[in-house]
Amino acid sequence: MISRLRGAPVLSSLLAIAAFLAMLPIHARAQSHLPDANFHDSFDGWANGPSNDADAARFLTQATFGPTAADITHLRVIGYQGWLNEQFAATASTQTQYLDWVSNTHPDEYLSDDTRLEIWSINAAGTADPSRAGFPNNARTDQLRQRVAFALSEIFVVSSNSGALRDETWGLADYYDLLAADAFVNYRQLLEDVTKHPVMGIYLSSIQNQKADDAENIHPDENYAREVMQLFSVGLNKLDTDGTPLLSGGQPIATYDQATVRGFAAVFTGWDWNNAGCDPNSYDCCSEETYFYCGPNDRTDVRWRKPMQPVEVYHDNTTDKQLLNYSGATLANGVLPHSTAQSELTSALDNISRHPNVGPFIATRLIQRLVTSNPTPAYVKRVALVFNADSGGVRGNLKAVVKAILLDPEARYGQWQHPDTFGKLREPLLKATHLWRAMAGRSTSGRVANLRTYPGIEDLYGQAPMRSPTVFNFFKPDFRQPGEITTRGLVSPEFQILSDTMAVETPNNLYHQVFCDYTGSDSCWGSDDPATLQLDEAADAALAASNPAQLVDEYSLLLMSGQMSPFMRSVLITRLNAVQDDPPDRPLGRTRVQHLLYLIMNSPEYSIQK
Amino acid sequence: MHVNRREFLRKSICAAMGGISLYSALGNLRLVAAAANAKPYSLTDYKALVCVFLYGGNDAFNTIVPISGQARTDYVVSRGGLALPAAGLVPLTPASGGGPTNYGLHPAMKDMTGTVDADNVAGNAGLGSLFGGGKAAIVANVGSLLYPTSQAQYQNDTVPLPPQLYSHDDQANQWQTSRADDANGTGWGGRIADLLHSANSGQAPMSITLGDNNRFQRGLIVNPYAMNPDGVSRMNYHDNGDECWIGGCDGSIRTANAAAYNALVASGTQANVLERAYADASRRSIDNYQVVAAAIGDTPPTWTTPFQNTDLGRQLQMVARLIKARSALGMQRQVFFVSAGAFDTHNTQLTDQNQNLLEMSQALKAFYDAINVDLQIANSVTTFTASDFGRSLAVNEDGTDHGWGSHHFVVGGAVRGQRFYGEMPSLARYDEGVPLNGNPDDTGGGQIIPKIAVDQYSATLASWFDVAAGDLPTVFPNLGRFNSANLGFMT
Repeated sequence: MISRLRGAPVLSSLLAIAAFLAMLPIHARAQSHLPDANFHDSFDGWANGPSNDADAARFLTQATFGPTAADITHLRVIGYQGWLNEQFAATASTQTQYLDWVSNTHPDEYLSDDTRLEIWSINAAGTADPSRAGFPNNARTDQLRQRVAFALSEIFVVSSNSGALRDETWGLADYYDLLAADAFVNYRQLLEDVTKHPVMGIYLSSIQNQKADDAENIHPDENYAREVMQLFSVGLNKLDTDGTPLLSGGQPIATYDQATVRGFAAVFTGWDWNNAGCDPNSYDCCSEETYFYCGPNDRTDVRWRKPMQPVEVYHDNTTDKQLLNYSGATLANGVLPHSTAQSELTSALDNISRHPNVGPFIATRLIQRLVTSNPTPAYVKRVALVFNADSGGVRGNLKAVVKAILLDPEARYGQWQHPDTFGKLREPLLKATHLWRAMAGRSTSGRVANLRTYPGIEDLYGQAPMRSPTVFNFFKPDFRQPGEITTRGLVSPEFQILSDTMAVETPNNLYHQVFCDYTGSDSCWGSDDPATLQLDEAADAALAASNPAQLVDEYSLLLMSGQMSPFMRSVLITRLNAVQDDPPDRPLGRTRVQHLLYLIMNSPEYSIQK
Repeated sequence: MHVNRREFLRKSICAAMGGISLYSALGNLRLVAAAANAKPYSLTDYKALVCVFLYGGNDAFNTIVPISGQARTDYVVSRGGLALPAAGLVPLTPASGGGPTNYGLHPAMKDMTGTVDADNVAGNAGLGSLFGGGKAAIVANVGSLLYPTSQAQYQNDTVPLPPQLYSHDDQANQWQTSRADDANGTGWGGRIADLLHSANSGQAPMSITLGDNNRFQRGLIVNPYAMNPDGVSRMNYHDNGDECWIGGCDGSIRTANAAAYNALVASGTQANVLERAYADASRRSIDNYQVVAAAIGDTPPTWTTPFQNTDLGRQLQMVARLIKARSALGMQRQVFFVSAGAFDTHNTQLTDQNQNLLEMSQALKAFYDAINVDLQIANSVTTFTASDFGRSLAVNEDGTDHGWGSHHFVVGGAVRGQRFYGEMPSLARYDEGVPLNGNPDDTGGGQIIPKIAVDQYSATLASWFDVAAGDLPTVFPNLGRFNSANLGFMT
């Protein structure tokens, strides 16, 4: 098998397309900027697909960090349902053990937040993990879990781009592991785990928050109270089940007011570090006396990985709290009678998670992260209803929600239903992981330092895992790119990080990886670093040299789910055919592969995942 | 390597419309036509507006602090452990009739020239000196408002309030749009640029952000160019970027690369609206960097007062460099935006705000010196601060919560400086059951109700920028609700 896909049993439809295209008059193909409609399969039995390779690649683009040839083949064999069941059962990849391993095996190396990005890259690429037993034959396959965890990290935001967390690498890694562990549990549990994680406690200053002290004019800190409602659960305005705002007199209706923020702020008082393993003879352990001074001794301290615990004397257990009031709220008028810290927290998180906004709010955000920026209200509603009650009537089942998102007819066929607006701008990180996976990237040491750049990768991509500038994420769900997107009333969240600067820096970084970092390369500084993930460009070089048009078609499938327009295909083939030199240091085949990868990954057609 | 993560706020969270971007045929033609057909401005002199946005909500009550008197007593009671000692404050001495004499600046703002080191507080050369020298003014208790609002009106819900008060995102947008009732609309800087861009002869973008993707500069016609404060990066694949050698910089390769790339991003040819937007952003970023790079050259100028290597320092240095290149760029009017983060001091405020204000002061002073000493056009450039909101007067142990009204600085040769504008609010703690609840300016929740609307603050700057009086209601539709369209702080 010279090329990645040749000989695979599932290529017949692609070859048929190629044959079909060959029959078209040249000018017809050259004019069209639409992918050919011949690529789609039947609308019947969509959940039992995929019925061709393009649909399989497209599904994997939404559900993983990028399809590989092997994944396409495997999905064709077991189908969507079987694949999802496999993914739900797959062992979760984690991050913290990697930090332990690096610090144990490389004691002289400064372990920074970039080290955390190494294990993020390994888990996203799905390569073998040198920190676990069985390396190099221990690659994990929990792509869907990791993909959803990444989406959750852009909703339940914490960030190392915050003075207090900059060097708390273990705590941050553990928070990400929490998101991965909870990716398919109940939303209510995720909300509590997030709320009590000390990294969130630091990030939104809910740790060591105290009850009101009139003598000192101290009010409970409102930070977490405000953001847990605005960003993690209900949002600012009341929503219909389909995600559209409910209106009163033509105006949106606020979900809560300042009294509610103050109510929740008072609930979240009295929480401090977990006392696991603390030394009771020092200021280490949290108590009334040490409330503001206790905590972990260093960043590897297990207390960075344990949920916060209450110190009751600092909890407001004397006032009743105004929480969310909504039709069906269990609390009368939304008022929570005063109680202990954990009891109030339990009731308060119940009060949030049962609010009717949560379903459409979370559905919209997850759909935007995985599938499309502008889902129809009907799509949002179908998913929100699953959030409200799964097949067993359980509310908040994230596994069922993820499945509903991916198997919805709009996810599977939206590109045909709404060809002009369907899709989303691929995040630069997801372009990179797609490149690594599609091109079977491997490093020689097993470490993956491709995101360890100077300047930092966030300055080249506009994002990096858990390095958002604020709790509002790198981009906001309702960002509208000025121009046609705005005037048509659409949103385009990821465009918020496509600045003029990133529109140059991101292509330049992909250029570097494509043209420098191929297997065995020492072309550029860092190319032969044992931690550089190198792309297997050699596998396609012979085909590139002999039949570039066929390689373009194969990459159209692998990278673009077969959606490349005839116009783009013709541009690419022309460019590849113009490469004719074959010097030893820049052989023809590999050079063509590089041009092809670069042009695809920076093209408008690829950049919009459809 | 150690990377400055906060660079992020500046470089990366940027929307991406390049330069002067007339809408496509699918755009809102009516609005565009109205803006485009407005009476063209013909301005031959040069002016620049520079917005310094302090994201997170700067605590103005610990930035401009009473030194003595009842305000001091009130402040100490309200602020408790966060109260700054009077001894370290930089005294502000207003001109005759220029406002209260018992306030001082945060101690970090003393040093406008030294290194970024809180211990290196050498001399009173900072904002204090600009204020004393008549080049800086303080505008007191500004905030987003729909109508003038009293405590009774707030508490009895008898006046419309800006939506989502105390939410970062919403309040920052309201500051940047000067439209508390339409914070998803265009920015007031963008609306001004829409009116005035006809005065510029060059093809370069009139609005440039060195900071984040702001709403302030978003217009119907003119949108900002988001630029890296360290300089222009070029494409490696088809331009002479730093690594173009890897794939081959020779002319024929680049020409072929450019032909392929340009075909893919050609205007309006893509089948999907998001693809067209991506192609537009890609193309325009390249068009703009080529124009800007040609104008500013590759070598940064040297400045009499060096800029610090901080977020704001590096951004304002590039603003100065762009202003220096104004003739080459063909600019008569420019609107700049720079930003800093980390002002959301819910905790460890004393440490964090000290560093934030130190960096801001140093950057503002270095920038003023660059414009005044090196470029000698102090009267042509006005810098002003803005922020999501002020912070609560009430505290939460070692920090403060989201507030509302806040004080701001305006700096430049054309500023009627050494004065306070507006009234400094009461800093007394709120206490129901006593006369005026103890503090007539408090909402009851520890936030201070603004007495000056963002619209008034903005319109005063717009008038100086030569937006005609007849166009002010277009740019600031709610301005007429407030008692004055011009606060008088600009000459």
